[in-house]
Amino acid sequence: MAMTRCVRPAVFTLALLSAGASLFAQGNGAPQSPDEFRRMLAMGVKYHSASDFYAALKAAAPGGGRQMPAFNQLPDWSGLWTAVNVSTTGGSFFSGGPGGVAPKLTPQARAALQQGAQNQKNGIEYDENLSQCGPPGYPRWLVIPFLREFIVRPEETWLTSETVNNVRRIYTDGRNHPPADEQYPLYYGDSIGFWDGQKLVIHTDQLMERSMGRNQPTQSDKMETVEIWQKVNPTTIKADVWIFDPGLYTEPWYLERRYSQVPNADKSLRIRYWNCNENPNNDVVKTNDGSTNYKDFTFDDKQKEPSK
Amino acid sequence: MIGRIAAALTLSVLVAAPMRLEAHHSAVMFDDKKEVTFAGTVKEFQFTNPHSWLLVDVTNQDGSVTTWGFEGEGPNTLMRNGIRPADLKSGTKVTMTGHPMKDGRPGALWVKAVRDDGKEFYPGGPPRAAAGQ
Repeated sequence: MAMTRCVRPAVFTLALLSAGASLFAQGNGAPQSPDEFRRMLAMGVKYHSASDFYAALKAAAPGGGRQMPAFNQLPDWSGLWTAVNVSTTGGSFFSGGPGGVAPKLTPQARAALQQGAQNQKNGIEYDENLSQCGPPGYPRWLVIPFLREFIVRPEETWLTSETVNNVRRIYTDGRNHPPADEQYPLYYGDSIGFWDGQKLVIHTDQLMERSMGRNQPTQSDKMETVEIWQKVNPTTIKADVWIFDPGLYTEPWYLERRYSQVPNADKSLRIRYWNCNENPNNDVVKTNDGSTNYKDFTFDDKQKEPSK
Repeated sequence: MIGRIAAALTLSVLVAAPMRLEAHHSAVMFDDKKEVTFAGTVKEFQFTNPHSWLLVDVTNQDGSVTTWGFEGEGPNTLMRNGIRPADLKSGTKVTMTGHPMKDGRPGALWVKAVRDDGKEFYPGGPPRAAAGQ
């Protein structure tokens, strides 16, 4: 195939949208109950900031969260994992949680969602991040499909996804976030954490202001999150996530995400390098009405003589 | 030649689609209300991220040949749905079904491929009925 062009904006459109639902359901447990959802939401709402919440969780952990566990004390998160379909278990940035509890949105976020819904209705979609091969970023990283690996070590955990080879590095060696004069906006933010038994607690800040997805609001650079990751059964890892973002929410929001282990008994599946630009047939442009269309195809560039 | 015999275009209302993760749907360039079905010959299987393309030469009724591109998921998703690079080599006779592009270019969202030995390939997973769900 000819892949020689220099300009290669590409699109994840279908990949992100059409990884089959069959990929997700692998015995992920019962959906979160409304009572449990409300309890978890309340855990975060009572804190003024994600930093305060994280500090409280750390103070309550054995040893004040300051003891780095030995390697053999860490949970086994090996294997390949993938996000469980939101429609199966709930867990959305902007839709109501189990029991119908809705996030308290800022007027800007509400307006952006309404505009996005109108665009959707009119068949207008464009992805400011992925269409040009940018990274999904965090917290969108929590909901993207495809394969993931979780690499756990005492001093650092890597939460990875095959999508554009992204890696979230969670430092658990006792370091803090960088000092203020060394901070700058990051696609995946800066994450520090500690182990509370078999639970990994994470605080993330230094996030970049950017779109959260097609027809979704823009997250602010004030966003911070707290996450608690744990394996809840042999094939399911759960992440409880609290998002603090004054640009999106007037109160912190909570969502639960689950990741199911991908069957791979024959070990045929492996995560490979993901070059978003490798195939120019995936190049897209933003249309005049703000939607998406393919740019040029290369598969019809060699006209054949009609066979008569 | 399959392509010569059956290069007929059929447009129909979608009846049974493979399972899709609608929450991420953004295939606005494709008309998901229509399906096209072509018989043809595989020209090339571009097994690439973030999307793969199966290029199929289709002989038109006037004898000319049009290369159609059918877009599917990336390699690992195809592999998990039982589609491997060697399954659809250049020269393989196939009957393709997909959602055509709205602007009329010869591209489609790959829904189903049926190889001449009868084996079916669904890049987005098998239809719900076939999956028993």
